[in-house]
Amino acid sequence: MATLARRTPTAGSGEGLYAVWERFKNPIFYAVLIGWALLCLAPLYFTLVFSLKPVENAYTPPLWWPTPFTLKNYETVLTSFALFPRWLTNSVIIGVVTTALRVLFCAMAGYAFARLDFPLKGFLFNAMLVSMMMPGVVTLIPKFLIIGPGVIKGGLELGGLTIPTGFNLINRLEGVILPHMVDAFGVFMMTQFYKSFPKELEEAAEMDGTGRFGTFFRIVLPISQTQLLTLALLTFQGEWNRFMEPLLILRTPENFTLPIGLQWFRGEYYTLYSVILAGSLFNTLPILVLFFAFQKYFIRSVATSGSKEG
Amino acid sequence: MKRLYQALSALSLAALVLAACAPAATPTPQVIRETQIVEVPMEVVQTQVVEVEKPAEQTVVRLSGWASSPSETALLESLLYKFSVENPGITVKYEPITGDYKQALLTAIASGTEPDIFYMDIFWWQELAKNEVLLPLDDLMASTGTQKADFIPALIDAFTFDGKVYGIPKDFNSLGLFYNKALFAAAGLAEPTDDWTWDDLKAAAAALTDASDPNKPVYGLGVPADPGRFPIFAFQNGGGIMTDDYSDTVLDGDAAVGGGEFYAAFKADGSGALPSDVGEGWQGTVFGKGQFAMVYEGGWLIPYLRDQFPSTQYGVVLPPAGPGGEGNLIFTVAWGVSANTKNAEAAWKVVDFLTNAASQQQVLESGFALPSRVALKDSDYLKNNPAASAIFRGSLEGARPFFWGAVGSDVNDQMAKALERVYKEGQSVRDAFGEGATQIREAIQSQ
Amino acid sequence: MSTLARPGSAARSKRFTEAVTGYLFLSPWLFIFFTFIVFSLGWAVYLSFTRYNLLRPPEWWGLEGYQRVLTDDLFLEKALPNTFKYVLVVVPLQTIVSLVLAFAMDQQLRFRRVFRTIFYLPSVTSSVVISLIFIWLFAAQGVVNQIIGISYDWLGEVGTAFYIIMGMNIFTTSGTLMLIFLAGLQDIAPAIYEAASIDGASKLQQFLFVTIPMLRPVIFFVVTVGVIGCFQVFDQLYVMTRGGPLDSTTTVTYLIYKWAFQDTTIKMGQASALAIILTLIILAVTLLQRRVIEGSGAAAD
Repeated sequence: MATLARRTPTAGSGEGLYAVWERFKNPIFYAVLIGWALLCLAPLYFTLVFSLKPVENAYTPPLWWPTPFTLKNYETVLTSFALFPRWLTNSVIIGVVTTALRVLFCAMAGYAFARLDFPLKGFLFNAMLVSMMMPGVVTLIPKFLIIGPGVIKGGLELGGLTIPTGFNLINRLEGVILPHMVDAFGVFMMTQFYKSFPKELEEAAEMDGTGRFGTFFRIVLPISQTQLLTLALLTFQGEWNRFMEPLLILRTPENFTLPIGLQWFRGEYYTLYSVILAGSLFNTLPILVLFFAFQKYFIRSVATSGSKEG
Repeated sequence: MKRLYQALSALSLAALVLAACAPAATPTPQVIRETQIVEVPMEVVQTQVVEVEKPAEQTVVRLSGWASSPSETALLESLLYKFSVENPGITVKYEPITGDYKQALLTAIASGTEPDIFYMDIFWWQELAKNEVLLPLDDLMASTGTQKADFIPALIDAFTFDGKVYGIPKDFNSLGLFYNKALFAAAGLAEPTDDWTWDDLKAAAAALTDASDPNKPVYGLGVPADPGRFPIFAFQNGGGIMTDDYSDTVLDGDAAVGGGEFYAAFKADGSGALPSDVGEGWQGTVFGKGQFAMVYEGGWLIPYLRDQFPSTQYGVVLPPAGPGGEGNLIFTVAWGVSANTKNAEAAWKVVDFLTNAASQQQVLESGFALPSRVALKDSDYLKNNPAASAIFRGSLEGARPFFWGAVGSDVNDQMAKALERVYKEGQSVRDAFGEGATQIREAIQSQ
Repeated sequence: MSTLARPGSAARSKRFTEAVTGYLFLSPWLFIFFTFIVFSLGWAVYLSFTRYNLLRPPEWWGLEGYQRVLTDDLFLEKALPNTFKYVLVVVPLQTIVSLVLAFAMDQQLRFRRVFRTIFYLPSVTSSVVISLIFIWLFAAQGVVNQIIGISYDWLGEVGTAFYIIMGMNIFTTSGTLMLIFLAGLQDIAPAIYEAASIDGASKLQQFLFVTIPMLRPVIFFVVTVGVIGCFQVFDQLYVMTRGGPLDSTTTVTYLIYKWAFQDTTIKMGQASALAIILTLIILAVTLLQRRVIEGSGAAAD
């Protein structure tokens, strides 16, 4: 802070400039905020407008108002094109199951790291921290092989016994869920949370003779609700929007998720862009609803992720 | 400490093995389980003896292909139904794949769970033959008296590798010149004929171009940077893309460059355009909308126009000949049989049935693709359908398979990029093709 | 190991039970960690030394795969420079934009909650959906061209396609990063600012000498996450341009995908070698950037 002391209270022109800044800073900030807000809203607004216009008008003015107006695209998405509801269902299944499993498993692992003592704890925890820095693309190919055909063709021969080296989950929703049912960031987040959490309640429970598992499921899980919800939202949003792995694992349209399905649909029926726009809003809507309902937690989740290094 | 490490690694290994075993084991027996469930209600009333024997007789053959359209799937299913009536001992399980087919098939082969019979595209099937995952079909063909000579030579030869037949072509397509009758009439031009040449094409494209309506310009010819269209101009100029043994490219030869210069000139003088110039992804759509007066497309455009643009009146003729004569591309798909199949004979029965004369007649009449059997050349259907007939005849006139050897995807990429450089960066065709050829040679080198 | 000196069987059994419980709690994570991280990483390294086309078992190839990557024109002339270009444009811009937004949000202005919600909207939309919308907005006869009154194929031209994708990425990530910065700004204790103003520091000086240094860990985090993410950009490229036009949007990750899953002869070994090389690059850049940010911190103190 030595630099601050050097400043003398009497500064000439600098102070004048500063006065100008003080005067105009709020309008400038408002301009920045409003400008960026318009930029953020514009794509979604145009999407909404054109999704309410007939398919043939996907590139026809007016830009600002849906005339001629039609709900046909939404009807196509919801009823006449049977795959859209399928994709929506698949996305929901993957999102909900992955989120539920991840919240549970991350809480369990976080609790173990924070509260229990076992050999190699420090080593494993550090290994986990290192793995968080690893770029995902490096394990893309082996991951694909393990989920699908296996790393060794025909399995591993062990004294007459053939052990498959892959899960054979290509084109199955389980194949998308499996590798993501727990992740390092979630474990880390829960570990930090349980570390900062008073031990008294658990100790009281243990005094009463409740075992570790009982304590965890009856006491610890319920009181970490807020943190779990934050993790759940973060997970659900990530899974709902995931692209590269489902693209490699899911093969037939009836098993696609909404993002995979939408981009496939564009390849197959590129003249029906208004339908794609309507479908896009369907992909965005659930997250928006969750966002408005749990805004506080969303913002907390982002803030948490930022402070992990600091 | 050491013991703990060991215990731990044993534990995690056990977990890995356990988890790996459980789901992996399910898919294979699933097939059998399903067929047994079908049999149960019938067997209840039958005697104990039959119940034991019946499943043993029943052979299950799994069959896979991509499903390009619901009606094409329906056609295959109706053929398979007919097969099951004629062959009660064989159950065919159809497993269509609609996503990335090649990737799905390779993954299945890698895990040893591939179907017994599957589609193979001419563009990449040799990769399978080279890696010995296909069953040679010669002996099986002999067993039912099916001969190579029954099929169009260009097609069956394309699925022969090292002197052995590995695939039976199920159907094929070639390119024809589709033209919009209304636009020709409006321009006061005579409609194209099979005898057209490059000069006729050039003159007509210029006369048909009409940019007077900026919102709906009309171009004479669609000239996409598409490696599935351009090569015919190299052929028609007396050249090619690859040497006969696919060990080198001739993209930078005079004939291919000349073909490229002719092709690119349409775009340069404004009488031709790319689909993206009018905001579309495929020129078939632009043709349907009446903004391209002529396009080179295959038989697949016929059902598309019927469904999407029923009011567009069009005709199809053979691609106009160039200085080097006729030239065309053959797109074809064959049935291949897995080398791992446990039911080679049953699998062959299915393939043979799907490609026999009666089935091929049904394929032809459906209008999706053309039959691979020579005998159908003179069928009434082709006489009554001039559009399909033009596509069929295209395969007989200077047509070569759409196949560029082991680096096929690189060759396609480089052709498309060379044309894009000409279109977008104003590079000369000779330089662009020269650069493309260099890249292709590098890809061949690094095989 | 002092506990071993006075063995009490009850204490030992309690510790044993606790260890078993610990591993049971940890088992789902351990299983995924060993399968999909540790083993996968090892297998990726192994595959990078092999030739592997999925149809036959991997064949030992030594350094041949690496050599081919390092002499491949598409990698050297397009994928690698494009990837660096992407990181160098997107990371600084998204950091600055989101920092400015966060700073504007930190003023006691009205409607802050509304703005915060709106800014976060692009971030909750999936990359595929945003890509599909942008393809349509920037099509030759799309909304953008209609507004400015031209006809230009933004995503089909070499000169613009990559910048549209970069712009889109900045647009989508800034909301999230803004929230991270905002949390960081609000974490700075008011007492520090008070102390600074007692010292006579102007607002500008407070910003330069208090706010920025206090935000350094957050900046480090945002830049690190940005660098790791941008080096691996894939979704948008796959949906919008498939690496084209003329490879102008081909990046390293797209090339890995192309080699491993798309080519006529698939090259999983060579693709693995490229994945390892990319990892080493990311590691090096992250370490370098850590030194730079920490170094600048040391200089400022």
